Amino acid sequence: MNALMPKLDLAGWDRRYAELQGRGLHEAAYGGPLRRHVDRDRDFRLEQLQFDGSAAALRLWNFLLTENERLHQARGRGEKIVGTMKDLGTVPVMAYALPGLRAFYPDGAWWTPCLMEGSDQLLQQAESLGIDASFCPVRAMLPAFQNGEHFPRPDLLICSTGAVCDDFSAIAQRLEHLGHAIFWWEMPRRRAPEPGEGACVLPGNLTAPSIQVDCVRLELERVRLALAELAGVPLDDARLADGLRAANRVRRLLASLRQAVYAAPAAPLPALEMLVAEMLAIHFCSDREETVAVLAELLAEAHSRLRRGHFVSGAQAVRVFWVNPVADLRAMNLLEDCGGRLAGADFMFSHALDLIPEDLPPLEALARTALADPMVGPATDRAARVVRECRANRAEAVVIARIPGASHCVREGEIIRQTVRQTLDLPVIELEIPPVSDAMLPALASRLQAVVETALARRSK
Amino acid sequence: MICGGVDAGSRAIKTMLFDLARSEVLAFGMSDQGVEQERLATELFDRLLQQAGLARAQVAAVVATGYGRNAIRFADTTITEITCHARGVHHLAPDARTIIEIGGQDSKVIALEERGRVRDFAMNDRCAAGTGRFLEMVAARLDMGWDKLSALAQASRTPAQISNVCAVFAETEIIGLLAAGQPLPDVVAGVQNAVATRVGALAGRVVVSPVYFTGGVALQPGMARALEAVLGCPVLVPRQPQFTGALGAAILAGERAR
Repeated sequence: MNALMPKLDLAGWDRRYAELQGRGLHEAAYGGPLRRHVDRDRDFRLEQLQFDGSAAALRLWNFLLTENERLHQARGRGEKIVGTMKDLGTVPVMAYALPGLRAFYPDGAWWTPCLMEGSDQLLQQAESLGIDASFCPVRAMLPAFQNGEHFPRPDLLICSTGAVCDDFSAIAQRLEHLGHAIFWWEMPRRRAPEPGEGACVLPGNLTAPSIQVDCVRLELERVRLALAELAGVPLDDARLADGLRAANRVRRLLASLRQAVYAAPAAPLPALEMLVAEMLAIHFCSDREETVAVLAELLAEAHSRLRRGHFVSGAQAVRVFWVNPVADLRAMNLLEDCGGRLAGADFMFSHALDLIPEDLPPLEALARTALADPMVGPATDRAARVVRECRANRAEAVVIARIPGASHCVREGEIIRQTVRQTLDLPVIELEIPPVSDAMLPALASRLQAVVETALARRSK
Repeated sequence: MICGGVDAGSRAIKTMLFDLARSEVLAFGMSDQGVEQERLATELFDRLLQQAGLARAQVAAVVATGYGRNAIRFADTTITEITCHARGVHHLAPDARTIIEIGGQDSKVIALEERGRVRDFAMNDRCAAGTGRFLEMVAARLDMGWDKLSALAQASRTPAQISNVCAVFAETEIIGLLAAGQPLPDVVAGVQNAVATRVGALAGRVVVSPVYFTGGVALQPGMARALEAVLGCPVLVPRQPQFTGALGAAILAGERAR
């Protein structure tokens, strides 16, 4: 018998936490009630969110929201902290291959204004540091580096440049001017091989000229030396290959989770938790081994619910493919409130979900994976992947979320929209979602409801 | 079967009573939107009932649409304005393939399939420059009723270029143009063109004809002409274009109650 699992607000989680504890809840070291992130860390947005009520989801949230303190604890233990910016999933794989290194993603500070509902004043402070509201909210990273309240100052800061988001390049350059030394490595813009030109197959059904892969490999060679120097141990191929296999373990778990949730006739886990889970692929939320444990528990929960027929959305919910992460996490709840469910997503780091080839020299494999980054190639490549995944998961509509000020490809949304329309004839909407979207919620809800109505009407075709 | 539609828009509330069996509009009315949406809508709806000589109990179902739809508690259900406008326009013009709706505070482009079902849509509700609000602002600045703008624009020989894409800055630009001695009709025609250009951008490159233009702004004939110039195809205005949302809501109410 199918059952609809209710989502919980924060007060609901207070009760649920006590109940789980009463039943002998076993928690990781970073565990505890969700409420403490509001009381202690001022993550006020949690009070507006609806959460999954499983112990697995609690662990996921606690893992996400304790990253800062876990990083500080790691430093206290003598570990070196590496800030890995922009590549979304390549350098962290290398860093975690070395003992005593812990990589994190300072760009992740872009969610802080949402989580703290602006009480952190990061966006305003970014303006005073020279980066105004015409830039992506990732500008929050700038004052976060300055005030040290959201992550420790890294021992090494690595950033990719070249064919990456122009907003981010500007912000990272400003960061360097403010006195934070950056180790830059270059990413060429991916192109299709010319006829007769040597080519390499990349993850994600892509190809690129061999010369581009060589270029990235040489750049990553420099990164390898910098990381080895920081760790005080060489990052040889054997060690790197171990690191790749460990990263692939995370990626396989995520692939299984995505398959279990997105392909299911009704969703066993909510859209919000899936967004957070997918985000773990980028830098393992500063703990690769724990990421495996968190994802394994979520996957077990999803499988258990599927077996028992317990879902978070009704079978009639419209299957929505979601493109791009949202600046306000509340938007993911809104999708379900409006009658939709997540049936696939491209949160802009699909290359961090693809398996890193294990049958190639490890640096070559990483170079190919890095070059498969959707942000460094044509938007048509990304659109083609969206179409493939929409087909695979029987999506009925596509939502493209825009991040105010983000400009890594101004025409990308339109290209994806046109490709999806022409290939699949699905309704597509674009939504611009600011970090705190409360004032816009009625308008956002209206659009999501309209796309749900449109998709439902098409079922009766 | 008698059914009701309420379109609680951002600037006005429109209501309609519709006899589904006869496919006939029994009564319709409009009032300005206000803080007490529920009361305003109720009063308007009751007035329509009186006008049509009907009691509430005779109305099989009511659907509310528009931004304020969730405040209309006497409605049996709510449906978005995209679906309602599509249904309303399809009823009036079954050949319609594209609907452009410019309301007080948003604009929409709706692509329809042959049988009137929504294929896709795009909405602008972040920028006033593509909405009726922009025209209202200009009318207020020129100290005239906004319904007079179109007649004034007809006298334009060389419409002014309003280059700013932001309504607030465009207002400054308009003041500058007037101060520089630009003829008033040219400035107004320039404003209409600016709105049409914004909506044209929303529509994208492929607009399938026939195109129907609805919403309060469609009452200005000059706007349809400006849209025709931008889209490069005829733009048709149905009867009482500001009521297509309420009409669609009423029809959908009846279809769901059936």
